[in-house]
Parts: sequence; structure tokens; C-alpha cells
Amino acid sequence: MSQSTVAKYFSLTWEMTKINILSAMEYRFSFWMLVFGMIVNDIGLLFIWVIFFQRFPEINGWQFQDTVLLFSLSTMAFALVMVFGGGAFEISRKIRQGELDYYLSFPKNILWHCSISKTDISAIGDFLFSIIIFFFSGDISLSKIGLFLLMVLPSAAILFSFIVITQSLAFWVGDFEDGAYNLFHALLGFSLYPQSVFHGLLKLLMFTLLPAFFIVTLPVELVKNFSLLNFALLVTVAIGITILAVKIFFAGLKKYESGNLINVKS
Amino acid sequence: MNQEKQYLSVFHYLKSKILKYFEIVKVHYFSSWAYFTNVIGSGFTVVIRIWIFTQLYTISYQASGATIINGQSVAMVVWGLMLVQSFHGATRPNVSRLIEDDVKNGTLAYSISRPYSYILFQLFAFIGRIIPKLFSNLLIGIIAAFILVGPVFFSVKSILLGLILLILGYLLDFLISMIIGLVAFWIEDVSALVWIYQKGQMIFGGAIVPIALFPDYLQNVANYLPFSQLYYGAARLMVNFEMSLFKQFLLIQLAWILIFALLSTYLFKKGIKNVSVNGG
Repeated sequence: MSQSTVAKYFSLTWEMTKINILSAMEYRFSFWMLVFGMIVNDIGLLFIWVIFFQRFPEINGWQFQDTVLLFSLSTMAFALVMVFGGGAFEISRKIRQGELDYYLSFPKNILWHCSISKTDISAIGDFLFSIIIFFFSGDISLSKIGLFLLMVLPSAAILFSFIVITQSLAFWVGDFEDGAYNLFHALLGFSLYPQSVFHGLLKLLMFTLLPAFFIVTLPVELVKNFSLLNFALLVTVAIGITILAVKIFFAGLKKYESGNLINVKS
Repeated sequence: MNQEKQYLSVFHYLKSKILKYFEIVKVHYFSSWAYFTNVIGSGFTVVIRIWIFTQLYTISYQASGATIINGQSVAMVVWGLMLVQSFHGATRPNVSRLIEDDVKNGTLAYSISRPYSYILFQLFAFIGRIIPKLFSNLLIGIIAAFILVGPVFFSVKSILLGLILLILGYLLDFLISMIIGLVAFWIEDVSALVWIYQKGQMIFGGAIVPIALFPDYLQNVANYLPFSQLYYGAARLMVNFEMSLFKQFLLIQLAWILIFALLSTYLFKKGIKNVSVNGG
């Protein structure tokens, strides 16, 4: 892909997301209800840990402030994926219902087009929540803000790739909507808890099948204590899993059976 | 003879009124089993959560230097959380969403002219859907908890009385979810209400941190909220039975059921007035 092609995709991504958001804003009350509802939802989740840390103030060196940073980073990565690539969550359903036909008729990359086709409006609430609570995650400095932004990108890339891989399994097994949903929530579950408690086989699971270690544990650790070696590891994993996700999606696409469903999207 | 005839006709009348709802339970029970991968998937999520809870509370108890906190050992905490997760995990798909869809796509409007109560139809369908997932979640969850933290003591009394709280808990959950779904008569999207209700359950429903581990002042508040009366009450008493707590939970639960039953009936009647059925 030439540089201008990449730039075109970035600009198109921006424009399409803008359209998605603006069309959702047509229903103003619903829009803000979703955004504020999600902020209240996230505050609720964090409140659980306010209670927990009153009982157990420190667990293997992990304190409440670390959980705040963990929440800030994971909700930001999640928001980026859901705002710019919310359609990835519907790949499985689209495969089952033969709705990928629509994207096949366009000249742009199908995975990109399918992912960008939907913006989860509530994720804007996650985005705002992430920014607000970041300022309660201990000492704030410019370098910490820079590191946070730097770590969110590979974290979001890995999360997005995980969604694409699990959703694409529907190419082979037919209906995998609930399977992908369960796997995603099992992965998301890890991002709620103090990362210092995981060990043994469960930790191995976080390195492999449910790569929560690379989506939250390592990025949070890097924001707290940056190390070039660990950062290189994170970036390598992010690139590797992104390539794998793209390969799996397009390998699956070869098996895709049309639903004879060519219609104009409103 | 006449009296016998009367009894017989009353019996037939009741049979025709009630039997159809059992058919609804049956249909939803079997259709829920049909999606076997979903049933197993739901069990898989429960296992991962119990595994996480085991590591979380084992390390946290070690860090605090205590083996028992407010009468709860690590094993009791994990078994209690396993039960809450299994009970709650069986309730998918979300009743609020189903009712919201029915309100929006007009299914509810057509159902009012049919010979059954829409609320009872949804309640019995809910019961039918729960049963397969509840059994599989419990089976998988009990094996996982047994392997991870070992057994805890259950008495027959604690299971039976806990079961009463569980059944009433499901009824309470259904009524609240129904109310949220019915709000779709007045607002475009009920997602925000669904999330707030779910978070209420996560915080005050003892789904991640058991209420017994809350600070005292918050425990008193949480025990009186409807969230703790859904599944936490049943799980808490099954694992660690106290008669006084059972009576307290039962009273609170019944009071909330009464309030939400009245509210859901009121909203349903009010909402249905907005509906106009055109054609068939």
C-alpha cells in the first residue's frame, strides 16, 4: 500500500465516522442518553473497586490508583475500536445472514469497510470517561500522557484483531455470534481486575487464547514503568496479531457463500 | 351431581387458562436447549469468572492476613459468587431487550388481541429459557468451584429456603426488566437504563464483591436495595445459612416484588393506550 493510499484510508475513516456520529445525533435525546448512560455505567463499574479497596487496600503492590489507570486505558482502547470499527462486532451476524454481499460490490478493502460501517455511540461515553478518570490515576505529567496515548494504540489494535478473529470463525462454523460474544466478554472480564493477582494457567490463558495481558496488563505496566524492550514486544504482538486477523478474515472470505442480498443501504 | 359438574367445569376452565402457559415454558425450554453451543458458552464464561475470583480473593485474603472476614472464608466467597454468576448468567437473552423489541416492532400491539396475558406469556417464556442454562451453569460452576477451592457445607434446609429466595429473585428480576422494556413506549432506546440496572446488580447484587465484605454502613444500604434481593440473597443463604437473615431477605424481597408488580401493570396499561392496531 502506497503512502497516499494509507492517507486516503485515514481520511475516509474520519469522514465515515463523522457521518455515523452526525446521523446518530439526529436523535439528540437518544444520543446523549447513550453517552451519559455509558459514563454512569463506567462509574458504576469503578465504584465496585472503591468498595473492594476499602476492604483490601493493597494487593501485591496494586492499589486503587492502578485500577483507575487500568480502567482509563482499557475504556480508551475499547472506545477507539467501537467508534472507528464498531462494525467488526457484526461480522459474524453478517456472514450468517449473507449481508457481506453489500461490501463485496465496493472497491475498498472489505474488512475495513465492514468495520467502519458502524459507530457504537455509547463508546463516546467510554472515551469521555477514560479522559476524566485518567486525571485521578496518580501523578500526572506530560510524559505520562504521552506514554498513555502511545500504549493505547497497540492495545486497541490487539483488541480489534481479537474481535475480527473471533467473529471471522463464523466463516467456518456458520453461526458463531454467541461464541464470539462470550469470548469477547471473557476477555473483557480480565480488564476489570487488579492485574497483580493472576498467575499460573490463568495467566497463560491471558498470553494466548484471551490476550488480555497485551491489551491491558503490559500497556498499564509500560505507562507506569516504561521499558523499550517491553514496548517492542507490545508493538510486535500488535503487528503480528493484526496481520493474522487480516489473513484469517480473507481466508474465510474465500469460503463465504453469497446471500444473494444485493440491496442499497439506507 | 350438579356440584360435581360445577367443579369439573371450574377445573376445565382453570386447565385451559393455565395449561397454555406451561406450553410456553416447554417451547422456550426446548428452543433454549437447541442452541447447545450457547448453553456451553454461558458455562465457559462462568468458569473463567470463578477462576478469576479464586485468584483474586485468595491473594487478597493473603494480603490482608485474614482467613475469615465477616464470617466468610475464601471458599465461601468463591462458592457464593459462583452461585450468583450461575443464577444471573441463566437470564440471557435480556428480557428488557426482548420487550423493547416487541414494543418497537409492534409484536406487543398484536399480542393484546390474543387469548393470553402478554405479561404472563413473557414470564413463562423467561422461566422456560432459564432452566437449561441454570442447570448447565450450576453443573459446570460447581465442578469448577470444587476443583478450585474445595467443597463447602450445604444443608438441605439452606438449599430449600435458598431456593425460595431464588425463585422470588427471578420473579423480581423479570418485573424490573419488564418495566425497563416497557419504558420503550416513551423513549427511543432503553440501553442506558439496561446498563444502569446491570451495574446496580454488579455493585449491590454481590456479583463481584460479596455484600458481606462491604464496609458496615454500605452493607446496611445494599441489603435493602432490590439488587441484592435478586440472586445474592439466595446464594448467601445457601452457602452460609442464618434464619434471621432469611426472614429479613424474604420480607424485603416480597415488598419489592409488590412494588414492581404494581408498577409494571400500571406501565403496561398506560403504554398500551398509546398503541393503535391497524389491520392484521
